[in-house]
Amino acid sequence: MSDPKIKECVSDKSSCQADKARRLVIASTIGVSTACALFPFAAGLTSILDPVLRSSGTKKNIPWTKVTPIVNLPHDGKPAKFEIILAEVKDAWTTYKNIPAGAVYLSRNGNEVTAFNLKCPHLGCAVDYRSKTNDYFCPCHNSTFGLDGSVTDASSPSPRGLDTMLTKVEDDFVWIRFQQYRPNIADKIPLS
Amino acid sequence: MSKFLDWLDDRSGIRGLVKEALYEKVPGGARWRYVWGSCLTFAFFTQVVTGTLLWMSYSPSAQTAWESVYFIQYEIWGGWFLRGVHHYMAQAMIVLLVLHLMQVMIDGAYRAPRELNFWFGIALMGVTLALSLTGYLLPWDQKGFWATAVATNLIAEVPLIGPMLQKIVVGGVEYGHHTITRFFALHAGILPAALIGLVVGHIYLFRKHGIHVKEPRPKKDSYFWPDQILKDGVACLAVLLAVVILTLYFRGAPLGPPADPSNEFPARPEWYFMFLFELLKHVPAFWGAVIIPIALGLLIFIQPFIGSSKKGHQFNIGFWWCLLAGSAGLTFLAFSEDRENLDHGAAVREAQWQAERVVEIAQEDGIPPAGAVTLLRQDKENRGRRIFAAQCSSCHRYNGHNGRGYLVEDDQSAPELAGFASVDWTTKLLNYEHYISSEYFGGTAFKEGTMAKKVLKKFDSEETKLLPQVALLLSDLAELPYQKALSEEKKESLMDIFYDDLACIDCHDIDSEGEGSAPDLTGYGSRKWMIDFINNPEHERFYGKKNDRMPAYGRDKKLSTEEIEIVVDWIRSTPAEL
Repeated sequence: MSDPKIKECVSDKSSCQADKARRLVIASTIGVSTACALFPFAAGLTSILDPVLRSSGTKKNIPWTKVTPIVNLPHDGKPAKFEIILAEVKDAWTTYKNIPAGAVYLSRNGNEVTAFNLKCPHLGCAVDYRSKTNDYFCPCHNSTFGLDGSVTDASSPSPRGLDTMLTKVEDDFVWIRFQQYRPNIADKIPLS
Repeated sequence: MSKFLDWLDDRSGIRGLVKEALYEKVPGGARWRYVWGSCLTFAFFTQVVTGTLLWMSYSPSAQTAWESVYFIQYEIWGGWFLRGVHHYMAQAMIVLLVLHLMQVMIDGAYRAPRELNFWFGIALMGVTLALSLTGYLLPWDQKGFWATAVATNLIAEVPLIGPMLQKIVVGGVEYGHHTITRFFALHAGILPAALIGLVVGHIYLFRKHGIHVKEPRPKKDSYFWPDQILKDGVACLAVLLAVVILTLYFRGAPLGPPADPSNEFPARPEWYFMFLFELLKHVPAFWGAVIIPIALGLLIFIQPFIGSSKKGHQFNIGFWWCLLAGSAGLTFLAFSEDRENLDHGAAVREAQWQAERVVEIAQEDGIPPAGAVTLLRQDKENRGRRIFAAQCSSCHRYNGHNGRGYLVEDDQSAPELAGFASVDWTTKLLNYEHYISSEYFGGTAFKEGTMAKKVLKKFDSEETKLLPQVALLLSDLAELPYQKALSEEKKESLMDIFYDDLACIDCHDIDSEGEGSAPDLTGYGSRKWMIDFINNPEHERFYGKKNDRMPAYGRDKKLSTEEIEIVVDWIRSTPAEL
């Protein structure tokens, strides 16, 4: 603590005060200009973070969506692909009615229907069903999935099997609760 | 004039500035190896100008992005050229970046005292790649949509803040308006501003340290103006020519079908990201998107220090050659895998078909406010192909494929339907060899049926010669839009063959009298006949109990009446390709 200024401060009070005042001016100048420079960014901060801040708890009750007459599912359990037409989809300022929002593979076992999202759980490409090998194949990064949706080939980059969704059969129609999940993690966590 | 310049110089000091800019010393004289930086500056300048001009016609939203780019591409005078130049110059920039970087590495211009400028350069490379990535989402076509889905899913790999970051970039959970507006702000605002800032720093530092001279010096020292500028100008002209040639050759940049989350697409990034795409097939995304880039980034960061020794410098050059060779190898692998994959080829052709079709409809009918994606969804031709592929193609074929160009893996078990009921088609139908082949009824019970075994096979040569005449008659009943109707006299003479010479009438009805044990041929192949048949082939008029596996699509509500009409109209609309 041999700062000469401090010594000076002890011996000469007025010079010390002048120095303090100078420091205050410099600190204020830096403070004020930084605040001014940051102000425009701060003004837009909440706007840019809106997608994170916006509450998305409204999606808890996913509506049942009608997909297809059950007669369209082959009896041999082979999957078939169907578009999912949602009654309402909101995209920022636009509200779409009855719009295709995705697609699923449906297969039946008696009156039980299994639904897999078309999107690969790896990075979101559209998965193909291959009838010759009777499995699902992602044409982007070569993940393969069995008929039960599980990853079949150890070299598949997908961290989990195809995403299933709740289905029911009512009035000879297949209904589904269509839901997207977070890609590329081992757990199936709904996107919200 | 000189008075005015004096005045201007007095007020602005412009002469000093120009002198400073132009009379930079070039030790060892002007050389071609110094041109890359200027070429990149020129390329970026082109991107700023063409980008701003495109901006004047572009509208960023999910309902207008594709539509406005379509308008630029197909309606605005020279719009396709402007967009093409922007597209191919972006690709030229990637090539130039690599050339510039390799020249700097080989010449050792990245070492002290130029470390800081090397880092500026690497940052510029990152910004340029980010500009490319954000750019190809903007047309909101299938390619941009699906490739960006993959790219933004990779953002989620960043530890801790990844998912949040992804949401901020995507503008929400689902892709939509805000994905486009945010990508556009990045592409046209934030990233170019960052690039300009970095370029200013890059050029300032370059001037501060001067040109790094590669020994031996070929000539005596000269100045930037005019010697080096001439060489730079010639190189820029060559870049420009290459871009213009590419633009003219490919008729501008491609525009895929409009983005549609329910319509699959063979998602591939632009060629300069294909190495990363291939890498992700072999390593977990966390490695491909986070660990490997960070490790490489760190190594690149300390390269100026590694390069301080001769061996270190050689290591650095070797590293970049390996990185380039590795990327080239992965890129080659990705392209050759795609080339060998028949399904991928079909998917690319299908996307191409959709892209051409939607433009055709847009030019004919215009685009509704809901956007162009509805055009394809409602297009009867597109729907016809899709219904055929989904419902008919596991047994039938259309020109040998599933109606959408994909080869079907299951064996064909029902007739080929391209050109159904056309003269060619019915002629083959009535030929025994064709009838029992898999192209017609070879895969069905009718291979062993009365028509095959007791009729076609048993006809003598005289009768067989008459069969094409009956085929002509049947085809005429179909009233196909692409065939000319027969004259009444001709028809009558053919009817005689049907009734008398070959006695087809013994089994087949042809005049609505409700008789006959074989399918009713009244109005055979016509729109109504086909709709009725698909509705219920088990009806007495058709196969009755002899039906072999053909579903009753209407009776069993597998297809709506509208869907049956659409697929019938589609089958009847065009002749077979072969």
